[in-house]
Amino acid sequence: MVEPEELAVVAALNETLERLGRGIDARAIDAAGRIPSELIEQLADLGLFGLSLPTEHGGYGLSLSACGSVVAQLARFDRSVATTVGLHLGLGSRGLVAFGSPQQQAELLPAMALGRPIAAFAATEPGAGSDLTAVRTRVQEGGRGVQVDGSKIYVTNGALAGIFTILARSPGLGGNKRGQSLVLLRDTDEGVKVGAEEGKLGLRGSSTTSLDLDGVQVPADRILGVPGQAPEQLAHILAWGRTMMAAGCCGTGRAALDAAHRHCGFREQFGRRLSALPVVGQQLAEGEALLFAMEALVRYAAGSDEAGLRTRSLAAKVLCSEGGWELADLAVQLHGGSGFIEETGVALLLRDARVPRIFEGANDVLRVHLGLHTAGSAQPVEGDSLEAEVANLGVALRERLGARLGGAPLMMHALGSLAGLALASRAAVERAEQEASPQATALAETWLRLARLRALPHLHRLREASP
Amino acid sequence: MLSPAHQTRILGILTDLTAIPSAEIQPGDRLSEDLGMDSVTRMELVSMLAEQFDLDIELEEAVAVEDVRGILALAEARLGHG
Repeated sequence: MVEPEELAVVAALNETLERLGRGIDARAIDAAGRIPSELIEQLADLGLFGLSLPTEHGGYGLSLSACGSVVAQLARFDRSVATTVGLHLGLGSRGLVAFGSPQQQAELLPAMALGRPIAAFAATEPGAGSDLTAVRTRVQEGGRGVQVDGSKIYVTNGALAGIFTILARSPGLGGNKRGQSLVLLRDTDEGVKVGAEEGKLGLRGSSTTSLDLDGVQVPADRILGVPGQAPEQLAHILAWGRTMMAAGCCGTGRAALDAAHRHCGFREQFGRRLSALPVVGQQLAEGEALLFAMEALVRYAAGSDEAGLRTRSLAAKVLCSEGGWELADLAVQLHGGSGFIEETGVALLLRDARVPRIFEGANDVLRVHLGLHTAGSAQPVEGDSLEAEVANLGVALRERLGARLGGAPLMMHALGSLAGLALASRAAVERAEQEASPQATALAETWLRLARLRALPHLHRLREASP
Repeated sequence: MLSPAHQTRILGILTDLTAIPSAEIQPGDRLSEDLGMDSVTRMELVSMLAEQFDLDIELEEAVAVEDVRGILALAEARLGHG
């Protein structure tokens, strides 16, 4: 939930974005492969790059929920723009906000709040994607403090950024034999070289580059927090980033459903408007219920304490990225042949919706992680809700497998999939209770029915994989 | 003490999971800070121990282990000596 004191700020920002958004030409951004610098200036002038940054450093100091709401609004108009801003607010700046020293924050955050510089996050390498324990980039004592060597790929905001949070192995630093640390690098640091823009299936307006780090020597205080603590820091930063990304997926879902409603409201086939056809009507209604649950899960995750956020952000990232893709696909399908033509704009929504299922942790990896967490922590729950059923399955698996849980990825994948549906169900019910409207109740009830249906194949797989 | 054969097998599992040569792994190495294992890799480690040695290990006990010495002790307590 957006905090009450933030509601006015968020409402004003979203109203402004509604006007600004109508002027955003998503297809032109897609064709050009870049966001016009004037638009980035406008976003910066609105203060969007400071939404999540502390007020004492020139930001708005908004909660994760509030930031997610704004990013979702941006994504309705263009996903590349939403990704650029959302990455800066989440993965790009969260490390500095949460773990930076007062000096680092005072030096960097005021300018970052103005979007000058924009922030990026560089973890992925050719041999280290979802498995970040495999990074080869190293930071070690050298030069006038520490030296960083290595290379990164798929750096979102790469060509726009002036500051990078880098994940690197840090042997010997902080008294740890191995371990990993996060390091802040500037684009102006000698030895930092930003690669060429990647050609992509979607999100073409969002910058994606490689990053070469060749003997980059910086003061030791560029390391964020305590050396060797990157795994713990990453858990927090990724939870923020994944929740922000899930919010963007909700914006894509809204744009897709709006386009589908518009088209089905005037297009006639078989002598009737498409929206009057029972199958189409059901698809649109179920799409709205899915979006209701996606939005509810983002709010549920964003409003959690740190431990809850870390788990629920996994579920939100998986459910919302799959949901955004599903809704964009539905919009293409309901547009018929015209959906396949770029002019209608829904083809772009579909292309843009593909990569969120992959980046910031491939969904199937995150499902296994969520399953492991569920099995490792579940407590017996009474009742016949999906949440109770999944919790009791988790308890049963833990009792049966004990320490062998980590060797049962197929079962953990199925359990993680079920856990995502269960969390979304709980979130949808809570949202309906908060909104207390007949429409919200109906959407939540539809989602609960859908979630039960969607649980069936995973329950089957769980039985199939059980020893 | 665990038998040398058991120790070698356990160090081999650690090498498989971390790509760190067995000869470089010391009993005092911490699983996270020194061997770079995250929570999922640690669960894989105890799972592989349970599988390969056919051990009954409680999950809560296994995830509480913080270093290589603890892993060796966990195995020793169940395998006995030799």
